[in-house]
Amino acid sequence: MLNLLRGRKLDQQIIVLILFILIFLSFAVFLPGFISAGNILTLVRSVSVLGILGLGMAIVVIGRGIDLSMIATLAVPAAWVMTLAGAGYPPVLAILAGLAFAIATGVLNGVLVAYAEIPALFATLAVGIGIAGIGQSGLFEYDIVAWPPALDSISWIGRGVILGIPYSILAFLAAALVVHIFLKKTRMGFFIYALGDNLLAARITGVRVRPIIILQYVMASVIALFAGLVLAASSANMDTRIFNLTWIYDVILVVVLGGIGLSGGRGGVWNVIIGTLLIGTIINGMTIMNVSFEGQNLVRGMVLLAALMTDSILNPRNEETAKQGDI
Amino acid sequence: MKPVLEMRKITKLYGKAAAVSEVDFDLHPGEVHAILGENGAGKSTLTKMMAGVVHPTSGQILLNGDEINIRTPAEAVELGIAMVFQETSLVPSMTVAQNLFLGNEKFFNRIRGTNITAQQFMQSLSFDVDPTQIVASLGAAQKQMVEIARAMLLEARVIVFDEPTATLTPEEKRHFFNLVETLKSHSVAVIFISHALEEALEISDRITILRDGRHVVTDKTSSFNRDRIVQSMVGRELTQELYENRKTKIRPAGERILSIENLRVGGVVKNNSLSVFKGQVTGIFGLVGSGRTETFKVVSGVIKRNYRNGGEVILKGKPVRYLVPAQGVRDGIAYVTEDRKIEGFFETMSIKQNVFAGLMGKAQLARFWLRKSKMDELGEKWVKALQVKSVTQNANVIELSGGNQQKAVIAKSLVQEPELIIFDEPTRGVDVGAIAEIHNIINQLADEGRAVVVISSYLPEVMQLSDRLLVARQGKIVEEFSPLDATEEKLMYAAVH
Repeated sequence: MLNLLRGRKLDQQIIVLILFILIFLSFAVFLPGFISAGNILTLVRSVSVLGILGLGMAIVVIGRGIDLSMIATLAVPAAWVMTLAGAGYPPVLAILAGLAFAIATGVLNGVLVAYAEIPALFATLAVGIGIAGIGQSGLFEYDIVAWPPALDSISWIGRGVILGIPYSILAFLAAALVVHIFLKKTRMGFFIYALGDNLLAARITGVRVRPIIILQYVMASVIALFAGLVLAASSANMDTRIFNLTWIYDVILVVVLGGIGLSGGRGGVWNVIIGTLLIGTIINGMTIMNVSFEGQNLVRGMVLLAALMTDSILNPRNEETAKQGDI
Repeated sequence: MKPVLEMRKITKLYGKAAAVSEVDFDLHPGEVHAILGENGAGKSTLTKMMAGVVHPTSGQILLNGDEINIRTPAEAVELGIAMVFQETSLVPSMTVAQNLFLGNEKFFNRIRGTNITAQQFMQSLSFDVDPTQIVASLGAAQKQMVEIARAMLLEARVIVFDEPTATLTPEEKRHFFNLVETLKSHSVAVIFISHALEEALEISDRITILRDGRHVVTDKTSSFNRDRIVQSMVGRELTQELYENRKTKIRPAGERILSIENLRVGGVVKNNSLSVFKGQVTGIFGLVGSGRTETFKVVSGVIKRNYRNGGEVILKGKPVRYLVPAQGVRDGIAYVTEDRKIEGFFETMSIKQNVFAGLMGKAQLARFWLRKSKMDELGEKWVKALQVKSVTQNANVIELSGGNQQKAVIAKSLVQEPELIIFDEPTRGVDVGAIAEIHNIINQLADEGRAVVVISSYLPEVMQLSDRLLVARQGKIVEEFSPLDATEEKLMYAAVH
């Protein structure tokens, strides 16, 4: 029983990995066009943005929070950077302004959650809607902002290809590396695990929990901005109406499916990578099969349910495991 | 007399590990049978098998001589076996009467009718609880009465109490013992699981002792004394001096490290004043609700002190007011909580990581990168120093026994090198062997010259450990004793009157 508990994370990781390989292979065999170079490129590109968002979400979820404002933070600050650069401001200044916007969003989220003690679900939902509103009412002329020529010097992050590998997947891997180092090798990362595991214990131990909660939301926002720039560069524009889509659920799905428990303190970057691969493949395959939007949602819901059920069958949480040490 | 309940060669395996192994047990009607043993000895598992919560791997359970197979707790209740858990299973927002008839209501439920039936039934048991009261407004002892009444209403012949007195004040305990007498007079068989050996000696007729899932001895209570019980429970002689109530040597008071003046916290702590000195153990005895915990939570910064009329906390001659515990930790205060599961340890982390969290919680040691080698080194050092026993080095703290979890929490605080250490109920839910070891740690800290505060509602504990004994009552310290002339009666008298 103890061995099963200890192998918990690994178990779900491996199951999802095997599932991914099975689905990928069956798509490759049965789905014409799936394995073509063009499609793999599309898959990888869409997956990389989702994966980058998943990394940001993972940091927050490990700290026992959730950030529903990530899609708004992906769209609005990135589009603002493009608008500013398009209006003639120096690209560096535009990017710094966007960064400041993203950080401010993260700080706002963090303050609402840590100091005002509003549940993260509602605080970030409200902030997300607010940010989208600011963008749509004040910052942009049209809903769709085009990638300005002034920023062409950095358009490679979404468009470029090196040795056949698109830069966007490299951007995902780079972000994954940075987040991994942050979570596993730094003091702040350790604290995020600690407060996600037990906030009160972390507090009594002398961790200043509120600044760290703010930090985790700031990181999520900055990562969302990065994802936004990659996305805009790859599609040459940013549709700020993206906020209205259900993309945020995919991000949460990636995190949960990969095995990062919503109860906090568990999981890491590997879980995000595996979850991303699986979800990306399923969505891409369904798009090729011309499955309707509603049908896709149905499948996604089933996948999430299946993941949760597998987890609870493998790691039953009954009274005995809950009251360890008192057999 | 024929036993009402009998277990023969009962075994419960979890994987390959036996929680209970070939235990024989019998229970007579109208007797109080105490089951004692360290944490992990198999007491809970044994009784859960009677109550249908856990299913035996092999062996027989006989009720009135017939073999039975209990599949669910509901079946056990039908057979007349009820279990009263540590956490009460009453619905807090309903009245006593509603709780009594919960699940057995008539289709058309008359409130007045149930109230009257409940009233009559409570009177027949001579329980003094008003059936129209909301359960949430009852005290712990009264809740227990309702639970017992519910079991009696379902015609239970066997009632199992798991740690019934852990949350009770001494007065309420007295009352509970009276309840047990009432049950006996109705010839109900009572099983009593407890860590409090004195209580078992006082109210039980027979005692069964388990060790590592095996049956050690069953005998009449009159043939036991504390030493024999402890010896059978742990299977070894404990260091005798720790179990001698009398303290003969008092450590002299060192420098005054902390003084509290007119501290006020909500309505719980009222004008509390006290001092703590280095090189000594200051024992704080008081009942639940006497404001002991709140006072020291303010000292360590867990609770914020009211700015305008909260009184003064003076640490090493300087007035302090902490907003977060991090400031207290920085100034060398460590608070070891009374509720380790809720605010003590990190359950997904290993012992090493828990200890390391303590080190990094101290601001002076701040650095950007983690050092894994430092973590391993510290972890090993503290596991050795505090004799934390675990299956493997990397076992998560949640998998350890209560005593070892407590040691991990203590290590997490001690790694911060505190000057003032506050232990709140340091041995609650800790097995007998580990209690002695934790007491050793506390004594050692005082010998090293640190200031130690021990808050406890367990009299023998404060009497053995303290060099100064303070008694808290209704939000303030009311009396100070020297352990040389304190008696349990004097302390209790000060705490309740």
